[in-house]
Amino acid sequence: MKPQFNIIPVIVICLCALVSCRRTQPNAAPQKPPEASEAQNKSGVSEHPKAYVPVVGKRGGEWLNATISGPKSFNAVVSNETSTGSAIGPIFEGLTTADPDTLMPQPKLAESWHFAEDGSSCTFNLRAGVKWNDGMPFTADDVVFTYEKLYLNPEIPNSTGDILTIEDKRPKVVKVDELTVRFDLPWKYAPFVRAMSADILPLHKLGNLSAAEFQHHWGLDTPPSELVGTGPFKLVSYEPEQRLIYERNPHYWKKDAAGNQLPYLDRYITSIVKDLNVAYLKFKNKETDVYGLRPEDFQVLNPLQKQNDFTIYRLGPGTGCSFVFFNQNTNSNSETGKPFVQPHKLKWFRDARFRRAVAHALDRDTMINNVLYGLACPQYGPMTISEGFFFNPDVKKYDFDKRKSKALLAEMGFKDVDGDKVLEDEQGNKLQFTMLTNVENNVRVSLANIIAKDLKDLGMEINFQPMPFNPIVAKLDASYDWECVLLGLTGGPEPHFGSNIWTSRAYHHMWFPSQKMPSSDWEARIDELFTLGVQELDPEKRKVYYDEWQVISSEQLPLIYTVVQEMIVAVRNRFGNIHPTPHGGVTHNLEEIFVKE
Amino acid sequence: MASLIALAVFYLAAVFADFLSPYPYDNEERSHPNAPPTPLRFRRADGSARFLPFVYRTSYTFDENRGRVYVEDRSAEYPIRFFIPGEEHRILGLIPTRIHFFGVDAPARIYLLGADYLGRDRFSRILYGSRISLSIGLVGVSVSFVIGMLVGGIAGYFGGAVDNALMRVVEMVMLIPRFYLLLALRAALPEDISSVRMYFYIVFILSFLGWAGTARVVRGMVLSLREQDYVIAARALGRGHLWVIVRHILPNTLSYAIVSVTLAVPSGILGESALSLLGLGIQEPYASWGNMLAKAMNVAEIQFNPEVLWPGAFIFAVVMCFQFLGDGLRDAFDPMMEASGVKS
Repeated sequence: MKPQFNIIPVIVICLCALVSCRRTQPNAAPQKPPEASEAQNKSGVSEHPKAYVPVVGKRGGEWLNATISGPKSFNAVVSNETSTGSAIGPIFEGLTTADPDTLMPQPKLAESWHFAEDGSSCTFNLRAGVKWNDGMPFTADDVVFTYEKLYLNPEIPNSTGDILTIEDKRPKVVKVDELTVRFDLPWKYAPFVRAMSADILPLHKLGNLSAAEFQHHWGLDTPPSELVGTGPFKLVSYEPEQRLIYERNPHYWKKDAAGNQLPYLDRYITSIVKDLNVAYLKFKNKETDVYGLRPEDFQVLNPLQKQNDFTIYRLGPGTGCSFVFFNQNTNSNSETGKPFVQPHKLKWFRDARFRRAVAHALDRDTMINNVLYGLACPQYGPMTISEGFFFNPDVKKYDFDKRKSKALLAEMGFKDVDGDKVLEDEQGNKLQFTMLTNVENNVRVSLANIIAKDLKDLGMEINFQPMPFNPIVAKLDASYDWECVLLGLTGGPEPHFGSNIWTSRAYHHMWFPSQKMPSSDWEARIDELFTLGVQELDPEKRKVYYDEWQVISSEQLPLIYTVVQEMIVAVRNRFGNIHPTPHGGVTHNLEEIFVKE
Repeated sequence: MASLIALAVFYLAAVFADFLSPYPYDNEERSHPNAPPTPLRFRRADGSARFLPFVYRTSYTFDENRGRVYVEDRSAEYPIRFFIPGEEHRILGLIPTRIHFFGVDAPARIYLLGADYLGRDRFSRILYGSRISLSIGLVGVSVSFVIGMLVGGIAGYFGGAVDNALMRVVEMVMLIPRFYLLLALRAALPEDISSVRMYFYIVFILSFLGWAGTARVVRGMVLSLREQDYVIAARALGRGHLWVIVRHILPNTLSYAIVSVTLAVPSGILGESALSLLGLGIQEPYASWGNMLAKAMNVAEIQFNPEVLWPGAFIFAVVMCFQFLGDGLRDAFDPMMEASGVKS
């Protein structure tokens, strides 16, 4: 009865998001991040009001934003890049949603839910009177169809289905009556309600498609009127590489406190621009209403707030991080028989002392002050403070102290025998390796330069190579022939959704993927903690497991975390009900945003 | 002529970069990110004048907009000293010495053109970068001209089927837009290689780009030269084809070649800069003008650190010099070419 997790390739996309991690987030409508409890409020920068109570607004107006990557598809099930997610975000809704401040699940299409006494099922009461944007009523049939035929269909590989599948066992979805749905669960699953935030799709539009047909359905060539959702807006036009235009959904179910139908805005327009410089200039020239700032933009935009009538919101540390990690793969290439990592290097990389030595050589102050204009914080563990409840601040922290690094390396037997300023191990192998990072991300390249220089000072001969993102992913996922990489991931408030990275069987267990048996004791313990954590329904008890996971990861350092950037967005003052949060971005309450006067 | 002198200065500066620059290219002072050019002072705090300029030590704080504000510490003066001992280097790669042409005593820093994000002196890095940027263009283009002249010579001399085949190949190469060929060739080479090997790869890429045009022109010239009496005479004396091409025909195209090499060098420099600018060429911490200029791709950065554009100014100056030099050389060679035509 020991459930083991299937490999859950959810954060594949996070991997994709890594490339765009820094590139999409500072964009209009940052989709990811959560609650920041320590929004530093200096220099007259507005802090969002803690308790958000929407005011009654009025109809009309448009919201303009810009993104640097357009959608790759409109299919919410199959495709899950950030760009697609933000393009279909205003059109569809899930049963639940995460509260932008507390991050707790909130009702959306489901009005309420309750678990059976023994935890074997969960029943959702759907909201009455909800209509699709073509006027058809939304019923339990749509929910059953979306989960049974799409997300939980083994013939359609998708991340929601993977999250909900444990040991090949999937929940069964049963229609109780027109507005009630019951999920029969084969296992105890703590974050179940949170996982129910996946978009619900219309049975009357998609019901007659086979699984194979569905996977290619709703591509970019779909007529906008076919994209039928329950969300506040509907797509009216998509011009590739130019813009997406949405109009208000006249059938939207939500009403404001005065009983007026939402949304307030008539139109929502996203321009697709070439790069962040263009997005920045567009905002500065008042062509867009919202912009996610890069650290260097702050000094330009901050003084312009009054004059150009916008407000900058500093939301505290985001959830996108950057970390260094080493290849610990003990396997060999099955075709050539060559080990993925040279054996003597593998011995260094698998030694926690080596990774700790590197951790002590990370000059986080320089990274923060020189590259990120002081708008970042050091990060030591796998979760950030903005990820809320499960964040454990008491992980092992590594100060910047090269003497400690040198002592650790000396303890491992490294010595500069031939006096060329490069250390040799006891067998006389030179301490040299190649470090990769993706060239598209300027910040990451700068961080890598700082790291490379400090490691060089320690006596490591580093060959630093920025290269395009896709070849790096190919190395990480398929050919495994890499030594050291600096990359990032976007996290979330629910640690279990990181199990596709952290459990040793996982395909994206980046430092040694798809292990049959955990290759070390601490990896075995992390596997165990994730298994325990997902089945424990009491949040306080769950937190104990995930706290231990964070401590182990900070001691063993499979991923050596560097810094996490602050999230900063600027929004024009003419809008009401603006309440940006790190997790929800600016547009989590899009339907309530209105144009003042 | 002025451009020849200017180029001589640039190349000499490149050769003696480690002596002329106050700091090595990878010397960091992390407490001085994006420092502005250090002001040279002639007047002391109390108003009295000094003959030699001096600098103050600086430090920065963030203002409320997260801009960096540098302030001078007026308590101590650091005069600029010439032939000052600093980091060890080897002049011409041979003579080990610690002497640098100029500098200031630590802990003050002198940044004539400001510093980059790690507090590395931009002036020093431009000097070191000129070694790569200036030599890579010259070497790459020279190699491509050797290839171009040989191919053109062979095609023109033999004519017929050989000529036809070679010229079709040339046309194929010329068909591909230059910049895309540059990117495609870069993509075909391995990604994770050291910077030294990258240097040679770029030379290889650049030499692959320029030879086609030269080959075509040289072939045209050779078509007429091979009918000259001295060529026929050499053949009659039983010399081999290659000997005739290399000894008798190609020297006559040399004046053309020299001019067009001069005019082609800038394209080599720009090619390297373009690759490095895109992050696909020379990597930090090594300096090249292209990779230094990459920082200027950010609008906000330019607004607050206009100094990031300096490498661009140097590229501009050198390219201009080569163009003027090429023009001048053509004017100088033209009468000679006519004279040689009459003589034979």
